[in-house]
Amino acid sequence: MLGTLINKELKGILLSPKFAVSFGLCSILILLSVFIGIQEYKSSVTQFQTAQQLTDQQLRETAGWMRLATKAYREPSPMQIFVSGLSYDIGRFSPVNAFSSVRLTGSTYSEDTIFALFRIIDFAFIVQVVLSLFAILFTFDAVCGEREDGTLRLVFASAVPRAKYLVAKCVGAWLGLVIPIAIPILVSMLLLFVYSIPFAGGDWLRLGGLLGASLLYFSFFIVLGVLLSTLTRRPSVSFLFGLVCWVLAVLIIPRAAATVAGQIVQVPTVAEIEGMRDGYSTNRMNSFNEEFSKNWEKWAQEDHAAERERDSADDQNRMWTRMQAHDSARKVVQQEIDQYAARLDEGLRQKKKAQMRLALSLARFSPAADYQLAAMTLAGSDILMKDNYEEAIGAFRTQVMDLRDKKMAEAGPGQGGGIMVSISSESGIQISAPKAKPLDLSGFPEFVRPRISAGQALSSVVVDSGLLLLGLILAFGGAFAAFLRYDVR
Amino acid sequence: MLKALIEKEIRDIIGSTKFVITFAVCVLLVFLSFYVGAGNFKTSQAQYEAAKAQNLRQYEGLTDWFNVQSTRIFLPPQPAAVIVSGVSNDIGRTVEVQGRGDLAAEDSKYSDEPLFAAFRFLDLEFLFQMVLALFAILLGYDAISGEKERGTLRLTFANSVPRATFIVGKLIGSAAAMIVPLVTALAAASLLLPALGVPMSGSDWARLGLVIFVGILYLTAILALSIVASAFTHRSSTSFLLLLVIWVGSVMIIPRTAVLVAGRAVDVPSLDDINTQKSKFAAQMFAEDAEKMNSFKPKVSENIDSMMKEVNEFMGGLADERDRKRREFGGRLDEQRRNRQQVQERLAFGLARISPATSLSLALSSISGTSLSLKDRYNENALSYQKAFADFQTEKLGAPVGGRMIRMGRPADDKEKPKPIDLSAIPVFDFAPETLSRSVGEASLDIGLLVLFNLLLFGGAFAAFLRYDLR
Repeated sequence: MLGTLINKELKGILLSPKFAVSFGLCSILILLSVFIGIQEYKSSVTQFQTAQQLTDQQLRETAGWMRLATKAYREPSPMQIFVSGLSYDIGRFSPVNAFSSVRLTGSTYSEDTIFALFRIIDFAFIVQVVLSLFAILFTFDAVCGEREDGTLRLVFASAVPRAKYLVAKCVGAWLGLVIPIAIPILVSMLLLFVYSIPFAGGDWLRLGGLLGASLLYFSFFIVLGVLLSTLTRRPSVSFLFGLVCWVLAVLIIPRAAATVAGQIVQVPTVAEIEGMRDGYSTNRMNSFNEEFSKNWEKWAQEDHAAERERDSADDQNRMWTRMQAHDSARKVVQQEIDQYAARLDEGLRQKKKAQMRLALSLARFSPAADYQLAAMTLAGSDILMKDNYEEAIGAFRTQVMDLRDKKMAEAGPGQGGGIMVSISSESGIQISAPKAKPLDLSGFPEFVRPRISAGQALSSVVVDSGLLLLGLILAFGGAFAAFLRYDVR
Repeated sequence: MLKALIEKEIRDIIGSTKFVITFAVCVLLVFLSFYVGAGNFKTSQAQYEAAKAQNLRQYEGLTDWFNVQSTRIFLPPQPAAVIVSGVSNDIGRTVEVQGRGDLAAEDSKYSDEPLFAAFRFLDLEFLFQMVLALFAILLGYDAISGEKERGTLRLTFANSVPRATFIVGKLIGSAAAMIVPLVTALAAASLLLPALGVPMSGSDWARLGLVIFVGILYLTAILALSIVASAFTHRSSTSFLLLLVIWVGSVMIIPRTAVLVAGRAVDVPSLDDINTQKSKFAAQMFAEDAEKMNSFKPKVSENIDSMMKEVNEFMGGLADERDRKRREFGGRLDEQRRNRQQVQERLAFGLARISPATSLSLALSSISGTSLSLKDRYNENALSYQKAFADFQTEKLGAPVGGRMIRMGRPADDKEKPKPIDLSAIPVFDFAPETLSRSVGEASLDIGLLVLFNLLLFGGAFAAFLRYDLR
């Protein structure tokens, strides 16, 4: 009996004209999005490689360790073919040098702003917006439509249990919609092979997770349509409710949640934090210079009192120890400044975290937000990507700066690459600027991008997929309860 | 007769449950959008003020202008950008200005706060393009086919009603039933802005009014399109499906695909490449100057101060020359890139404008001053500020400083405590947004296209109905 009912439901969907239209549209969209995704991925890989080569070359040509400045680039991931997430919003690289702190800048959208106007179309977007709408379109009249046509009374004239009927409705609609959509998805995976995209085992796991989350999300909207059709008497009304639910879940709740959270938990801008850091740094350095100049005066007086001879070997040594003393004292101050900056950054991060927690807990009322968050996390292009990258680049910067300090100390004074101005009574003033000679880059650290294993990614989407599953179960239970009391006349 | 038809249409629509529910949702969203927008504006305003204050505070207590080597300027939040955010959240807002050197705007809102990039904002452009367009489709999709299904179409034409009069009545009636309540709601919600403390100037009100006008123009085009669809089909479910497909295509697919196609077709040199070329050039210039520095011989004199002055002048002269050459070289590269970008933009928009949703986006962002040109405009403003800042440094120090420049000098002999510098002397950055008339000029093509869409679709509805099979 269940088989017959499911069969009937399947035929009803597959043979309807709206099925052909929407199936065709969805197939085109999915294939188009994956095709575009592949092209964009390839071009960002090329961009990444070129940029890295240029940076390496530039590094080799740097005139001296003191001027050392390099960049660390964010590496494109093949999962961005399916979920672009925030890859285009967040900076592609961070400067790594002694003068500025680590911060990802130069996002694709800020550099090539034209792409920001309409954004990117990807698989996750199509599932989130288009497929959910079509799911409602196919199931909004599941029960009330049959009532209006009068077929519901006919069915229940036979000895059909209500429970079985409803299960058949859901299962039939589910099979009729999921199986056809699986075809373009499989074809799009073939495209990955055709274009020989380097998809590793972890990426397949992630993709599997993404498809699972998409399935849960899509199923939720299928069942939601059935639920609405059991709550209403007329399909036109249930359709309207379906559309309103869709608009709220997909378009409104996530946006509203983020903005409301942004207003409740206010976070200072990066510019403000940088202003604070620079202010502290300038003040601290100035007072240090003032204090330390007293030492120099004292030493000069000592020299004068002892009537030491200038420019003797002894004098040179004394100068060198003094300069080293100056330098180590300056380093202590620099450390203080760095610590202060780290505290500021930490404070900012905490506030942002609080804001994010609030926003996400509000947004998670919407299954569309759950799905989006899960998809971004699986693809590794989520909100935390920026912090992860900045942390990794920070570690890289420390290594680079340590190496720089070491090399500069080895080279001794005047060899670091800075401009030296020396004054002596015989030759007057002399400027010595460094001659460009290639650096010995042996032992230069390599930047390792932060790696989040597929297993970690999968485990961090437990909450969102759990919420999707919960929504699905609730919708099904609701439909079941409502249909048992449904007036079939 | 026409009047009776229009009146019937309006009554029909306004009395329906469909209208009541969808309109209620729309009103709610419109109010939410303005409320949230006002809140956002105040948040960004507070952030902006804090960043500005912090920028000055870092120099507090300093006694030497030499320590003020750079200053930061920020893109101030605009009330009009609250209504239509355009690209204002995508472009960099902070520029570190030195007397010399390149400028780069960094810290876009979305890269600063990825949370918002994930979910984006709820602005009027989004409401018009996505939500209200659906509302318009819902009002019009069964205009003809629905009456046919219910059998009222045959009844109407049992009387001596000319078809032309009937369809004109339909069009006018349904447009009026949509426009009047919506404009009322929008106008009422607009009052939230000043009530919540957003400083709206006269030109901001004009921009808001234009935004609403263009939005309505778009909605009437969608409404007319729905009526065309309902006059081409015999079942309302078919016409709805058709419209949904068109909606998905024109709002989500065409604009995005057009931009991506243009991105493929027109190669724009990457910024990485340009920056590398620039820094290579700079390194080369410096290497050349290093030779000159090494062979520099000041006139030996007993007076060390005059020798130091000579060194400073010599170094300053070299830096000026380097800066001039670098600017020339970099400017050429930047211009090439900008030109290619413009070719790309023209192609992308040319393709995307098949969809009225594109025209809506472009027109609204131009009117609110948040179109692509905002980036160029900010850059121009920043450049002229740099000039002012360099002049200011020259006045205080004799030359623009920056780029970790060194200066030779000796502590003054008199032990008098130096006075702190007067920070209010630093030139203030004033962002001049695009004038209203230029914004409107920029939007005129797209407004014209929307008018054209309206004419075509109204004409189409008329023509389709004249041949409609009433039975």
